[in-house]
Amino acid sequence: MATEPKLSHTAAMILQTIHAGQVYGFSVMEATGLPSGTVYPAMRRLERDGLILSKWEQQSIADAEQRPLRKYYKLTRAGVATLQAMHKRYPLLQKMVSDSEVKNA
Amino acid sequence: MNLRSFPVCRFILQVAALLVPGGERAEWLAEWQAELWHVWHAYSRKSCGRFHGGQAVTAFCFGAFRDAFWLRRNNPQSIPRRVFRIGSASRCSLSLALLTAISLSICLYLPGARMAIQPSHYPGADGLVTISRGGYSGTQLPTIEFGDYQSWKASTRHLFTDVAFYQPVHKRIHIAKHRSADLSVGRASENLFKLLSLPVSANAGDGRYGARLFLSQRIWRGLFGGDPGVIGSVTEIAGQRVLVAGVLSRDSLQLPGQVDAWLLEDERHLDILPPTSRGFVLAHMRGALPQMDGWRSMTVHRENGNDVLFDCISLAQQSQLPFTLFLFTLAAALITLPATTALPLGEYPRHSGPLPWPGKARRWIFLSSKFLLVVPLVFVTSIDVAYGVPSLGSTAAQYIQLAISFFGLLFAFRWILQDQRKRCPLCLRVLSNPARVGQASRNFLAWNGTELICAGGHGLLHIPELPTSWFGTQRWLYLDPSWGSLFSDARMPSAGLV
Repeated sequence: MATEPKLSHTAAMILQTIHAGQVYGFSVMEATGLPSGTVYPAMRRLERDGLILSKWEQQSIADAEQRPLRKYYKLTRAGVATLQAMHKRYPLLQKMVSDSEVKNA
Repeated sequence: MNLRSFPVCRFILQVAALLVPGGERAEWLAEWQAELWHVWHAYSRKSCGRFHGGQAVTAFCFGAFRDAFWLRRNNPQSIPRRVFRIGSASRCSLSLALLTAISLSICLYLPGARMAIQPSHYPGADGLVTISRGGYSGTQLPTIEFGDYQSWKASTRHLFTDVAFYQPVHKRIHIAKHRSADLSVGRASENLFKLLSLPVSANAGDGRYGARLFLSQRIWRGLFGGDPGVIGSVTEIAGQRVLVAGVLSRDSLQLPGQVDAWLLEDERHLDILPPTSRGFVLAHMRGALPQMDGWRSMTVHRENGNDVLFDCISLAQQSQLPFTLFLFTLAAALITLPATTALPLGEYPRHSGPLPWPGKARRWIFLSSKFLLVVPLVFVTSIDVAYGVPSLGSTAAQYIQLAISFFGLLFAFRWILQDQRKRCPLCLRVLSNPARVGQASRNFLAWNGTELICAGGHGLLHIPELPTSWFGTQRWLYLDPSWGSLFSDARMPSAGLV
């Protein structure tokens, strides 16, 4: 029997934000309004639990835009399943961090 | 925003990076510095004021500390995490060492206990005896009446070459103008230091004062600021003018009673003490007491027809007695141990892979370290309890020490063996998750008992409920590394691989 992972509301919100397309730490901060001291440790925990994956972008992209390399995050298959379960637990989650809000952020 | 503050933010991140475990530090810092660059440009582009933008960027940087702390706490390879893991060998050894240190600190803090563990350092201590009322030898309470001392000075010449008296009393000492302090002063007969063979200059005092004061190091440094000029000066103790004749080279003379300063008084001054006033008496015996029997009793016939018993105990013997008692209980506990628990540590078949010798050695080193830590722990604890309470008589203290040492050692040795049996031979962690295989399983497995498992996935321990000819003692079953995926702690290094 599969057990539902226990995620806090904050962690679920970060998961939803990453799923909505905000793939960098700072953009997650802006979309959720959470401070850096909350967002980054939460993302480390999500990555440790296999719900998100991190990857450094290609050097050529950063060079072309004349900025440092960034690390971006994306949901794993387990992360997507967990997020769906979280939607049942926190019905307002999708409304709080909707795609449109994220795009405007 | 102020461009000069950008290096400050980078510096904050570099300081926070020091908290991150070494292996992850470079990547962690690169991510945070990249994010800082974006945060900086985002706030530069925004129309918010210079102050608010700078504040937001600084707040972002300080968040790095929380992230760094999280990584540090959750690093499976971090030394504190490995060392203090519940049930680990290091945690067990450190706990025992800590308990021993606490017990030793208590022992050094309590004057009675401290005196009990210190060896005697008086030259010719074999002939020196402390005289106390029968059953009160070694106690911190004065038991000899001054009248007895006065009569012994004359009547015991055939037994003792010299007899000295001292009495700890609280007196107010004048330190400087409008400054005084209450001290525990040992009023003593003039011959006390001579009896103890302490090197006191003969011309310490010119005879004009009937009393000479000797300060302890602690009081000299604490109250007189270590001023050498105080030696030779005249001060007042409870209205009596006394000469400060010197400073003792150590704080304690290892004599019963807590004394901050010694006031050596001539007979004329000492004789004003009431005959019933109690103190301690030291004497030097004619001919040293035999080394193995440093104890004598002395019966005094009173005028009223009563006989009073006094103990004369050698200072050297007195200082060795607690240790001698402990050695006796140690031998008794070792002899009794096999009657209370089985001595074998169980059957450990050959490991499937080559178990390196450091792994085997670590197991035995851990067992030895437990013995080495437990023995001083029990010794010092028994001293704390038996000699730390000043109102207990010496006989009562010795019985208490005997009881605590014997039962303490016996239970400690039993625990050491039982603890060792319930540890994984590879990682030395305490085995967990006991599963009882009941009587019904006997039909299928020809065995029933309890199974314990190593959380690191190294193996299983089978403990039979009833020892049989084919399963007499506990048996260890090694699990090969393919089982590792079932255990969350399987990445933990085993003994010898650390």
